[in-house]
Amino acid sequence: MRLIHEGKVKRVFSDPESDDRLIVEFTDAITAGDGERREIIEGKGAVACETTALLFGYLEDKGLATHFIRQLDETRLVCRKVSIFPIEAVCRNLAAGSFARRYGLEDGRPLSRPLVEFFLKSDELHDPLITADAIIRLGLATREELDFIRRVTLAVNYYLGTLLSQVGLRLVDFKLEFGRTDDGDILIADEISGDTMRVWDESGGSLDKDVFRKDKGNVLEVYNLLLEKLKETRPKEVPVRGEVVRVLVMPKEGIKNPPGEVARKALLRLGFEEVEEVRAGKVFRLCLRRAVSPEMLGRIEEMNTRLLANPIAEATYVGFDDNGNCGDSFSGDE
Amino acid sequence: MWGLMIMAIAVIRFPGTNNENDVMRALGTIPGAEAQLVPSRLGSAALKEADGVIIPGGFSYGDYIRAGAVAAAGEIMEGVKELANDGRPVLGICNGFQILTECGLLPGALLPNTSARFVCRWVYLRVSEQTTAFTEGLEDAVLKMPVAHADGNYYCTENDLTVLNLHGLVPLRYSDENGETVPAVNPNGSIDNIAAVINEAGNVMGMMPHPERASRPSLGSADGLAILENFVRSTKC
Repeated sequence: MRLIHEGKVKRVFSDPESDDRLIVEFTDAITAGDGERREIIEGKGAVACETTALLFGYLEDKGLATHFIRQLDETRLVCRKVSIFPIEAVCRNLAAGSFARRYGLEDGRPLSRPLVEFFLKSDELHDPLITADAIIRLGLATREELDFIRRVTLAVNYYLGTLLSQVGLRLVDFKLEFGRTDDGDILIADEISGDTMRVWDESGGSLDKDVFRKDKGNVLEVYNLLLEKLKETRPKEVPVRGEVVRVLVMPKEGIKNPPGEVARKALLRLGFEEVEEVRAGKVFRLCLRRAVSPEMLGRIEEMNTRLLANPIAEATYVGFDDNGNCGDSFSGDE
Repeated sequence: MWGLMIMAIAVIRFPGTNNENDVMRALGTIPGAEAQLVPSRLGSAALKEADGVIIPGGFSYGDYIRAGAVAAAGEIMEGVKELANDGRPVLGICNGFQILTECGLLPGALLPNTSARFVCRWVYLRVSEQTTAFTEGLEDAVLKMPVAHADGNYYCTENDLTVLNLHGLVPLRYSDENGETVPAVNPNGSIDNIAAVINEAGNVMGMMPHPERASRPSLGSADGLAILENFVRSTKC
């Protein structure tokens, strides 16, 4: 087994059995403040590994796509090989941590809707906040990839939050990393554990790394408590959420568009002399009872070619309604 | 024999089809033509006994999504495809042509008329010089038939167009009275004045003009009858 990458708390090895897979080892290291503080806590790697295996398994069961294949032993997972995007997606339900500090908010202040923020993975720069446009302009991800990552992050928020609420826990925020397979599929990668999320119990006590960050007690104990609580959940009772997808169908470049041309002439007649061109297409708003995943994108592509568009003359663009869930009236982006 | 269903020609009616009675009536004037109206909801099973299929014009499913798109996804089309693959004749008229391109039995697509108007008028059609099952005996003739459609602008890729021309798969083109296929008489913007297309096997044809509405002199023309007669004859092959 060849060491491919050594992170702050994990080591990644090649899988001698397959080039498409990796072995991820969770070490006992725990860090805070971009690695400024680092300790070894025996047993921490095992609990983070088991928590990750449990939660990735749960998300997979709901139809989301992760890099997780199986747990190899106490501290190691077998995973699909992906190239990791150099960004972290953070989803927040309540203000806490760097978000609360940045805007001078009290911890626990609720947000009107879940918020997704992106951070650049860079220890030297202390993982700075990065905008979607900057990510795209720097070529770190395409707009389509970023839309997908955002939408998966919001779906994970729903599935994790609902699961935790079954045992009286509140998902405050969490971090996800994503990777791309050689086929271009985007998978949830890295880990989900007390290291990467904030979870509060009913009295506001932390079951996560804040215990270590703020020296509030025994972090191994709360990680184990979180894992125990997760084992008490009833994952089958969490319903698959309906996801709203928009398909825009437009006549291809070079294809005449009489409806648009008629609209242009009518607009000119109405005095809008600045109208040079109008192209008329169609929008379909679909509610899909299926988790957001590369398979879902593949199914939509099939719907487009088989019915919603005529590939000979029309091009399609798929978008996700921000926060749009089935049953909401169509309002477009906020 | 009593109880044996005799169904030589199936005339399919989708919700929104509105030319089925005209087609049935025209077929009724052709000796030996046994035709039956088949509602699409009966599915492909209802086509088992058919020797040929006509998909008449109209506005199946209100032309929602695109003209012919929803009908093309109907289960009965599986049966039409099977018959077509067995070499049985299939004729799509107007909306039927749109359905045949949408379901992939014919290449190309029928886009909105470039005029952005519904066009309803008599046109002249130049029959190709190559003989096809549907135009046998009409080679190089000029026919008069009506068109009535909003989406009759035949469009296909350069590649498909090359194949169509190379293999003589364009049996009808819009022309003037003298058979000249000039752009001025093109009613909808069709590429190369194409009014009808036939598949490579030669047994599936789609046409925008309405032969059933030109099937007796009192209608203004009987030129369409020969195409339906050819169709009937090919069901008996």
